[in-house]
Parts: sequence; structure tokens; C-alpha cells
Amino acid sequence: MIYLDYSATTPIGYEVLDTYNRTSKDFFGNPNSLHELGVKAKNLMNSATKQIAEIFNINENEITYTYSATEANNLAILGVALKNHKIGRHIITSKLEHPSVYAICNYLESIGFEVSYVKNDKEGLIDFDDLKSLIRPDTILVSICAVNSEVGIRQPLKMIRQIIKKENPNTLIHSDMTQAVGKVTVNMHDVDLATFSGHKIYGPKGIAVLYKNSSVSLMPILYGSGKVNMLNPGTPAVPLIVALSKAIRLSMSDTEKRERFVERLNQKIVDALSKYEGIMINKTKYSIPHILNISLRNIKAETFLHALEEYEIYLSTNTACASGDFSSSVMAIYNDKVRASSTLRISLSHLTTSDEVNKFIEAFIQIYKKLSGLHE
Amino acid sequence: MEKVIFIKYGELSTKKENINFFLNKLKENISFALRGMKVKIDYDLGRMFIHTEDSFDEILSKVTKVFGIHEINVGYLILGNDILEVGEEIKKLLLDYDFRTFKVESKRSNKIIEKTSVELSKEMGAFILKNVPNKKVLVNNPDLVINIEYRVGNTLVYFEKIKGLGGYPVGTLGKGLLMLSGGIDSPVSGFMSIKRGVKIEAVYFESPPHTSREAKDKVIKLARKLAVYNNDIVLHIVNFTDIQEAIYKNIPHEYLITIMRRMMYRISAIIAGRRNCKILINGESIGQVASQTLTSMRAINEVVRIPVIRPLACFDKLDIIDIAKKIDTYETSILPFEDCCTIFVPKHPVINPSIEKCLEYEKLIPYEELIYKSVKEHEIMKIEAEEKNEFAELL
Repeated sequence: MIYLDYSATTPIGYEVLDTYNRTSKDFFGNPNSLHELGVKAKNLMNSATKQIAEIFNINENEITYTYSATEANNLAILGVALKNHKIGRHIITSKLEHPSVYAICNYLESIGFEVSYVKNDKEGLIDFDDLKSLIRPDTILVSICAVNSEVGIRQPLKMIRQIIKKENPNTLIHSDMTQAVGKVTVNMHDVDLATFSGHKIYGPKGIAVLYKNSSVSLMPILYGSGKVNMLNPGTPAVPLIVALSKAIRLSMSDTEKRERFVERLNQKIVDALSKYEGIMINKTKYSIPHILNISLRNIKAETFLHALEEYEIYLSTNTACASGDFSSSVMAIYNDKVRASSTLRISLSHLTTSDEVNKFIEAFIQIYKKLSGLHE
Repeated sequence: MEKVIFIKYGELSTKKENINFFLNKLKENISFALRGMKVKIDYDLGRMFIHTEDSFDEILSKVTKVFGIHEINVGYLILGNDILEVGEEIKKLLLDYDFRTFKVESKRSNKIIEKTSVELSKEMGAFILKNVPNKKVLVNNPDLVINIEYRVGNTLVYFEKIKGLGGYPVGTLGKGLLMLSGGIDSPVSGFMSIKRGVKIEAVYFESPPHTSREAKDKVIKLARKLAVYNNDIVLHIVNFTDIQEAIYKNIPHEYLITIMRRMMYRISAIIAGRRNCKILINGESIGQVASQTLTSMRAINEVVRIPVIRPLACFDKLDIIDIAKKIDTYETSILPFEDCCTIFVPKHPVINPSIEKCLEYEKLIPYEELIYKSVKEHEIMKIEAEEKNEFAELL
């Protein structure tokens, strides 16, 4: 099997799974319980949270665990909107977001909020002038992802922050960092709110993080007994939290070295595929190497995906989350319907080997020749 | 030229005869704070030097928590006292500094040098003006102060000063036993005693099941905060349940607190004696609660002969809180777990207890026996400043 869909999800790391198992077995107490078992579980959970806080240089109480990055995005955006609707009802986001951000924004529009979509340039970078002009006194939130999930465009959040705060210091900034954490260096202090999930960084599925700067307050979207955290009431998933903490620690070591390695693999694929006229490489200088998006002229992406499946090679069309027939990110960058209508996303990892990449290229070219021949 | 960290002693330099004892202890304490790092420490009567190739920042952050240091700075040792040679080295160092105005401050401990400090400063100032372009001398509030000390055999140059904690090196004044509750005051008291050179041990009274494991963990956490300054800390945990229940059952409730405190004093005095602690230390502050009125203090203190030091006796609560925040014990102290002073609280504790009544009431319980048992069975923990994460393997 050759797995090239690491941006959809990653296999859980062996040590992470071990932590999950041992925590489930040895620390099954409810951290809200007063007895020793509960206290033990709570101490372990707090240690895990502390480790995450230290890695990101934030405070422990700025971390909220959720089920998924989608839930964390909901909590961040809805939480800000519901809390601040009396101050303003204007929200800005980009055209390069994860579908969950659009779904929340659509809902907010339906209940009277106004959403603006900031333009980006041909390289995928947020158009700073457009952003500046969109910010108003009633803009309560700007949500811009750190790394786009389809084309891998990385946004300069620090600069974006400066622009936003200069125009309106009260406007909050949220960033979906799901595709950034563990792949490239991130700085939580560039934003007020950030989300990322465990299963993209070799952690377990079913756990994600919302970072919320302690100066920001959100309206909860779930209600219950919030002993640990008002924003996420209920019994904390201690084994998931501890495993997540371990996954974060492991994924944050050697980020730069891994990035350089992945860059070499990426370049190898680009060099091999760009020879073919019917293949367009959707990569700009702001794309991170872990995500390589290509468009196929005349071949349906889904057909191609299934053909690769025959070779036990797995990747995505658009993104796993947005398997529509049209890549909104590619459209936003290239403004080319043909290009956006048949895209494949090859996502790489430091676990990917050169041998896998060679085999992938070989299979890809074989399939390409066969399928493109049909139209001649 | 060698980059070094060096230390000025401050108050220590007032010690005449036994200054070497103090300096040796300071060196020991610094070595302790820096254990595991590759450092070489040497000293003379004026300065202590830390030579290392490890991270300067890490060393600085650790040494700034050692008592007995007036100032801790990063400096450069240059061989010899030749003004031109020193000037050339300073010229190189100045490349790292962005400044427009400067002044030179000189000190000469090598008295063979005939020039006065003022003359030396002038000469070096002139050298810099001549050799480093676009700089100006400014006496009041310059961008950069170039400090130069002409010592026997070498010259020390430094630019910035970092204030140390002051006080005396821990252990130079012997040992004391701190009565540590989970509250705000006692850790601050401990800190202040450590500052005066007293190495502390701590005693904590627990009353399970009336007090929880979490209350005990909280005290361990507080002790750990103090351990940073104290070169680790020994914590005595005394099971107080039997005594407390006996008091509650047999003694009029208005005297609960008074008698309870008397028992705690007695136990502490015994432990202090066994551990060679010369004083008891606690967080009492005059008037703060019923047991801290002057009459109460007298009635309670009366049961021991060992001196009881109350560093916070005359402090306002808000000032105590300020210190607690500075030494990072406040957030832990306010965690809401019951300790043995907050369970069994009478509605109207006596404000002016009489010693005679205390003696009379105490006859109602076999306290000597209970105290003997609690001291005999008490738990002794050694707590290190650096918490070993018990979950490290899982994380």
C-alpha cells in the first residue's frame, strides 16, 4: 500500500496508541471524581495539557478539547459571533477555508450576520489591501486558515494580524491550523483563536484543540456540568487527551528537517508529472511541500483515483471533506474552471519513502497514458 | 577574552571575619542550583565567577533565584590591565550594541595602577571616541554604560546589570522549621526566612478523611516552589486526625482553634528538636484571624520554648499577596481544598483565650500520648525543586 493522503488523516503513531491503551486501562477514573482514581486521572490529564501548553507557549487554561476540528471551528466562530453580536455582526473569511468554516458562516448569514470573503492574489496569498478595506468598526472576527487544505497555501498570519489589529484592534482573529500544526512552525500568538486536530498529526481520531487567548471570551455552544472547562462540558476524554499530547510532542520535533525531506519528495513528483501537457501543477511559492495539488485535463479525477486504487495507492480528489466536483481553492487561486474541475491532492509525510514516491510516479504515468489515450 | 557570568555580593560584604564561610556556602548553593550543567565557579572577596560553555540564559535564570547575590551580570574577562589592549577588546564588543551615547565607569581593585578611576574612565572614553565612529559621551542617562574593573591580573568589562535576590546564602544561618499550611501566608513566611539564610524544613498537618489527598498535593506543590530557593526541602507530614477529633469531641468549641494550635506548636517543636532546627517559622500576622490576636498568640506560644519567628507579623494582607504572586505560590494557595485549619471551625472562636482555661481543657484529652503517636508515625518527604513528571513515560 502506498498512502498519499496524509492531509485527510494519518495513521496513529505506535507510541501514541500505546499511551492511549495504557491510559484507558490504568487511568479510567473520571477526572471530575473526588476520589483517588479521579484525582490520578485528573493529574495525568493536567500534565498532558501542560505539555501542550508548553509546546505552544500558551497557558493551560487557553486550551479546550473538542471532538473534531470542525467542532472547534464551530465553537470559535459561533462562540465569538454569539458573544459579540451586540457589538457587531460582520465576519470576514477567505476563499481558501475548510468547508466547515463556510458551513458555519452560511448559518450565521441565515440568522442575520454579514460575511465578507477576502480576495487572494494569484499565488494564493490573502490580498492585504482588500482585507484592510473590508475591516469595519463592526467586524468582530476574521477567520483565515494557516494552511489551506487543498493547495497547501500558507498564510503569513503575523502580517495579517498586524493589518487587522491596526484597522480595528477589537476584531478577533481565528485561524484553522489543522493543516499547519505538525507540518510547519506555527505561532499561536499570531491569533486570538486557533483550531487543530489530533488525527492529522499521527494522533487518535476524535480529539481536537481550540486555543483561545485568555483575554477572549466565547459563548458556549454546549451546556452541561463544565467542571474542567465551561466551553466543553462533560466527562473529559482522558486517554484521547493524553494520546493527543504525546502526538503533538512527537510531531513538533524536527519539523524543519522533516519539511525539507518532504520538499524533496514533492519536487520529485513535480519534476516527473510536469512533463505531461494534460497535467497542471497547482503549486505556488506559498504552498507547503506536504500538499501537492494537480489538475487533470480531460480525465475525471475520481476515475483516476479509482485507477490508482488498483495499485493500492491512496490519495484524494479535492479534499476528503469536500468531495464535490469542483475545487473551490483551485478556483480561488487560478480562476480557471477547467483547472478546478478535476483535481487530485497528493499529500506527503515524513513517513513517505522515496521508493513509494518512485512507485507512485510510475503507476501514475501508466494510468495517465492509458486514460488520456481514450480521448485521442 | 572570556565571556563569564559574575556575581556581586552586596550585603555579604559586611561580614568581616567569616566572609569565607558565607562565600563558600554561596558557591555551594550556586553549584546546587546549576547541578547537571558544565560550570566552573571561582571567587575572590569581591566577585564570584561562573565559567561555562553552556547556555548563559539558562544559568542566569537559575542563579537569579539564589539568595546572597546582589547583582548578577554577564561580563568579559580580559587579561592584563593595559588600557589600549582593553580598549581594542571593548571595540570588538561594542559591535553588538546599538547605541549613540555612552559613559565609562571605572573601578580599580588593582591598586598598583597609579591612575585614579576618574582618569581611567576619561582615558577609555577618549579611546572609544577616537576608535568607534559617531558616538558621544553623555553622563546623565546614556544609552550604554561601559563598566570596567581593573583587577589584579585581569580586567572585567560589562554593560548590563541584573539585580539579584539579595539576602544571605541559604544555610548560613542554620535551619528552621516552617509550619506550612495550604494558605497564602506560610509559603511567603518560608520564602522570607530562606532569604535571611535560614534553610527550612516544613511541617504540614493533615486530617484524613476530613482533608483530601488534593489538599496534601497542594502543600507538596507549595513546598516545591520553596524548594527552588531552599536547595530542595524536607516536608514532614503529620497525621492530625486523632488529635483533632479528640479536641472536637471533648473541648468547648470556642477553644477548638486555640487548643489545636497549641498541639501543632508542641508537635512542631518536637520535630524541630529532632531535626536540629533552631526556630519555628509560621505565617501568623497580627490580628488577621481570631488565633492571631495578641492574647491568642501568647496563649498559643506559651507551650513551646523554641523561638517562633513570624516574618509576616506586621504585614498587611495585600502586601503578603504581592509577595506570594512574585514567588508564584499565590495561584496554588488559593486552590479551594480544605485543610485542617478550615474544618471544624467554631462559630465564635475565643478572641482572648486564657492560658488557665487552655490547661484545664487540655486535661480532658490524652494529648501527650496522641502527640507521641503522631510524631512517631509522621511521614518525611524530600521534595526537589524540579518536579519529576510521574507521567513522563505516557507523555
